[in-house]
Amino acid sequence: MRIACDTGGTFTDLIVESDDGQIKMYKAATVPQDPVQGMLDAATVAAGDWKLSLPDFLGRCDLLIHGTTHAINAIITGRTARTAFLTTAGHPDILVLREGGRAEPFNFHVPYPSPYIPRALTFEIPERINAAGAIVTALDEEATGRILDDVAASGVEAIAVCLLWAIANPVHELRIGDMIRQRLPDVPFTLAHQLNPTLREYRRASAAAIDSSLKPLMGRYLSELTSRLASSGFKGRTLVLTSQGGMMDAAELAKQPIHAINSGPSMAPIAGRYYGAVDSKLPLAIVADTGGTTYDVSLVRRGRIPKTRETWIGKPYRGHMTGLPSIDIKSVGAGGGSIARVDKGGLLHVGPQSAGSVPGPVCYAAGGTQPTLTDACLVLGYLDPTFFLGGRMKLDPDAARQAIESTIAAPLKLDLYAAAAAIVEVATENMVQAIEEITINQGIDPSEAALIGGGGAAGFNSVWIARRLNCPLLIMPETGAALSAAGALMSELRDEYREMFLVTSDAWNEPAVNSLLAKLRERCVAFVDRAGASLQQARIEFAVEARYAGQVWEIELPLKHDHYAGEADLAGLLEDFHAHHEDVFAVRDPSSVVEFVCWTAAVSCPLGRNDLGRMPADPAASRRSASRQAFFAGSGIVETPVFALASLPEGDVMRGPAIVETPFTTIVIDPRASFWHGPSGSLLIKP
Amino acid sequence: MDRATAPLLDGARLSIIANRFGGVCRKMGNTLLRTGRSGVLNRAKDFSCCIVTADCELLTAEESLPIHVLSGPDLMVRWLNSVHPNVKRGDVFLHNSPYHGNSHPADHTLLMPVVDDDGVHRFTVLAKAHQADIGNSIPTTYHGTARDVYEEGALLFPAVKVVENYKVNEDFVRMCRLRIRVPDQWHGDFLAMLGAAYIGEREILAMGQELGWDKLSAFCRQWLDYSESRMIEAIRAMRGGSASATSTHDAIPGTPKDGITVTSSVTIDPDRAMIDVDLTDNPDQLACGLNVSEACTRTSAMIGVFNSVDPSVPKNAGAFRRIAVHLKEGGVVGIPQHPISCSASTTNLADRVQNATQLALAAISEHLGMGEIGCFCPPSTSVVSGIDPRSGKAYVNQLFLGHTAGAGYASEDAWLTMLHAGNGGMCFMDSIELDEVYTPILVKTRRLIADSEGAGQYRGAPGILVEFGPVGAAMQAVFVADGNINNPKGARGGSAAAPSAQFIRQRDGTLRPLPQYCDTWIGDGETLVSVACGGGGYGSAANRDPERVCKDVQEGLVTRQRAESVYGTVLTPDLQVDIEATERLRAANEGRATVPR
Repeated sequence: MRIACDTGGTFTDLIVESDDGQIKMYKAATVPQDPVQGMLDAATVAAGDWKLSLPDFLGRCDLLIHGTTHAINAIITGRTARTAFLTTAGHPDILVLREGGRAEPFNFHVPYPSPYIPRALTFEIPERINAAGAIVTALDEEATGRILDDVAASGVEAIAVCLLWAIANPVHELRIGDMIRQRLPDVPFTLAHQLNPTLREYRRASAAAIDSSLKPLMGRYLSELTSRLASSGFKGRTLVLTSQGGMMDAAELAKQPIHAINSGPSMAPIAGRYYGAVDSKLPLAIVADTGGTTYDVSLVRRGRIPKTRETWIGKPYRGHMTGLPSIDIKSVGAGGGSIARVDKGGLLHVGPQSAGSVPGPVCYAAGGTQPTLTDACLVLGYLDPTFFLGGRMKLDPDAARQAIESTIAAPLKLDLYAAAAAIVEVATENMVQAIEEITINQGIDPSEAALIGGGGAAGFNSVWIARRLNCPLLIMPETGAALSAAGALMSELRDEYREMFLVTSDAWNEPAVNSLLAKLRERCVAFVDRAGASLQQARIEFAVEARYAGQVWEIELPLKHDHYAGEADLAGLLEDFHAHHEDVFAVRDPSSVVEFVCWTAAVSCPLGRNDLGRMPADPAASRRSASRQAFFAGSGIVETPVFALASLPEGDVMRGPAIVETPFTTIVIDPRASFWHGPSGSLLIKP
Repeated sequence: MDRATAPLLDGARLSIIANRFGGVCRKMGNTLLRTGRSGVLNRAKDFSCCIVTADCELLTAEESLPIHVLSGPDLMVRWLNSVHPNVKRGDVFLHNSPYHGNSHPADHTLLMPVVDDDGVHRFTVLAKAHQADIGNSIPTTYHGTARDVYEEGALLFPAVKVVENYKVNEDFVRMCRLRIRVPDQWHGDFLAMLGAAYIGEREILAMGQELGWDKLSAFCRQWLDYSESRMIEAIRAMRGGSASATSTHDAIPGTPKDGITVTSSVTIDPDRAMIDVDLTDNPDQLACGLNVSEACTRTSAMIGVFNSVDPSVPKNAGAFRRIAVHLKEGGVVGIPQHPISCSASTTNLADRVQNATQLALAAISEHLGMGEIGCFCPPSTSVVSGIDPRSGKAYVNQLFLGHTAGAGYASEDAWLTMLHAGNGGMCFMDSIELDEVYTPILVKTRRLIADSEGAGQYRGAPGILVEFGPVGAAMQAVFVADGNINNPKGARGGSAAAPSAQFIRQRDGTLRPLPQYCDTWIGDGETLVSVACGGGGYGSAANRDPERVCKDVQEGLVTRQRAESVYGTVLTPDLQVDIEATERLRAANEGRATVPR
């Protein structure tokens, strides 16, 4: 048996996959002060369902996959270690100046952000290496020793080291590492060139600073996690999800905790990739996870999940860049709890402010007074006030109506339904914009994409999002309410290797490229061996980051070969680059030299199955069938049939309007759309 | 369709379409950054993209450099329409004439009309990008001392058709290749701009087909009206009044010996919901490159105003209706006449226009304006050129190696990395490693300077020291520094920031001062030493929150001594606020003249 456990802000989701492949979903409240307790609570709920004691239940599990927000929460709440920053003399302000840039050039109310590590804990090391890797100023070890005494005296719990050009020649950083080990043996540290071998000193320094500041805390958390699981009867292997959408053994991750920052959300695209492939033949899938407050979107292209190197913690230019690749997830402030308001100029806004879970939407009757997207959906008849979250919560439609009437409909001079529909429409547009940023903005056409809706609020407006983007298919998976945990079960052990090697189209060096690719392949094979997997199961994908001469931002180009033989192969590679550049940026420059900068090989080994089983039907939910009055723009109020997803026969194509309910979500299908229940269990909708 | 019969969009539809137009600008900008070839585009992001309506009004310029876009795009499209009344789909025009609406000649701007299926010119998309070189007589895009355009030497394109039916005119390309330094770099940048323009046009054509052109026209009118109503509301919330203020640029060759003083007179009239900025009381145009084009003069005054307006008011032609800027024909700021040079029009003196306007606003109300933002362009932002000994190839590019310049605001400390007033902090700062790869230099130092900030209740940014030099071959560097003498002043009792300075460090280690306007060769083994200004403070330093002072001391930005003498804040030996001693010191200081910087 395998379990996946995703600790979120409100709920800890747990999915159990039994050996026959059947999956079941459980939830328990997250315990913010003690997240391991939340996991054990969820496991206890599951054990109860399986009629086992917790030790017996855990004893049957051979694998636990964990997604955690522990690292990101520590950063956001300022609970990371007191950390020193060691850098090249003359350059103490790398973390202060960052890379410049600003959002909102006319907004002076926003203070300039503080550096991740203060100047007070920044130490300048006398040394300098140049772009060619040559030593300009040798490391002054005596002075460095005195500096390390000062570092020790400052009472830090961790150290980040980032020297200029250590990526070209690491000798000084390595020596400082040795000296730290000797003089401050108990203080964990990170050498930037080892963690993130990339050009641009701020990104490297920021990565090292964040990583080292997480080491004491994540080391404790991960070792406690494994020991408490063990004492609760778990004897299997514990893997933790990483920002790159793979997994690492808990002990391995404790050495590079920065990779845990997007642990959790990074799994939704993995699940999306699976459903995109089983439910459609489209080359693209857009994965959208709608929670109460945020809308997280990502993309799967021909089975590949794109990554970004510009991951920010917080807002761009106001937060901190991690400097490391992460699955490219864009989050905007839009969700079921997004608050609607009309400004003094008469413009309707929805979000980014959210009513959260406390006080929540007006209809929760828990003190909320500002109408939200959820309130609008209730007013429009999409939600059943007696069957929200499978009947676990009652909603107050009158309160929602009054709030929308007075704060939205009246100032906009619209009737109640038009006002509520406008709230849905504005929220839809905000979500569409987020998707356009990762698709159209990158030159990717969403009309070739399936939209995959996950998260509790996805069903409200995904049909309209899909239509607005011209997506031909909308997929609502049956595991949608815990999409990340479902993704974790399909996640693979993976790692990625990078080699910087500049070769240009006018001085192509075929033997060097081939030997480099062979070397990358060897590292992948070694990884497969270490993981105890077989080479037949493993997948190795090569790519190159390339650009026109003079550009400094590369585009990633998947490689069709791992061995180049002759002019024709090079010509094919160049044509692929020109075509990709024109595809994304509307122009090509065939007269220009192309520079191939960085070569990568990604290796992944599936663990057990790489598909997902079905959830058992909930007999209570299947019996529900009814109809209710719902409002649709263009049609007005329509008598709308309501179905339980589990009760729909597979394959029968039906026409909207309809509302499809599951124990966790409500899916709205407007009169223009058609839908059917797919063999995977997903609800499939043609918008 | 006339105004009376146009369909009226509700607030939701208005918001949706506005977001989509904003998205078009972002897409264009992303293309320019990712595909540009010169550092000034792909490292520093010195470009802007915007959309102008059929009525020649600025619709949106999301994520642009303020000085590039508030006024100018409107003037340029008006000029385009007057010389090319019959544009066709697939036409693209290059425009960089500061006498016809552009900012300065270095900002090459591609104008691409969006023409519907019936041949109607509906919108114009603009991609404006500061070039690494434009064929000036010397290798810089800021020729501060040029007597006129002939000495300046820029190739000028007053809305010249360079693309027809999506095909580039290769005659034009060949011509530029002969007159612009490092032609491959220029050509790559041109293609990057073209990609941005194509993407903007493609997006708006798709919107027109999807939503209907009449609806988009109705949107434009209504969106601008909405923006105007937001501006009216913002001005009505201000205190009314009038004030004048001055800001002086240091002397360089071609200016009077005391420099150039800009005067801005501002009147806020909440009843009429209008702000007037009168710039007519200013000197005549001068035989140097500092004259400020019409677009930049208008824009600088408007930025000065918008920096004090609720930031959520959209910056477009609707909001602009509530600002009247009065200009002088033939003024050094105003409407300079060809062939006088406007080479450095976006920065040096334009910043002084904005600073004078902000100081005048601060004089009207303690909730408005800000201290003077620091001065451009120190040696850390030189245009450098030479032959790279590693490749034997020529290079030319503007560096953005270190800048601060932010000024104290009425309710918050400075945004540190402003670069200069008109930039609004939008440009990136170069990575030292990237600069050392693409340019044969070594950067010895880049650090903030303690005690150099403009003190105040809300303080300005500290200055920044940058020291760098060529490796393996001599390098030509050109810059026009300001602020050696007229360092950035504070507002409402705030203090001035420390002055700027520039030196060459000779091989024996000694420093030799350089003139403020400088076109010089730096030898291998020598370095340029750039001391760039921070910004002025806002409000009296004696009223600064002692906790903020304490944090600055802990961070090494302010010394303990200065904390006591300037901020009246006493710290304990372990660098915490000594509350009692601070209260005693502040009480004793009360009534005394403010301490100079």
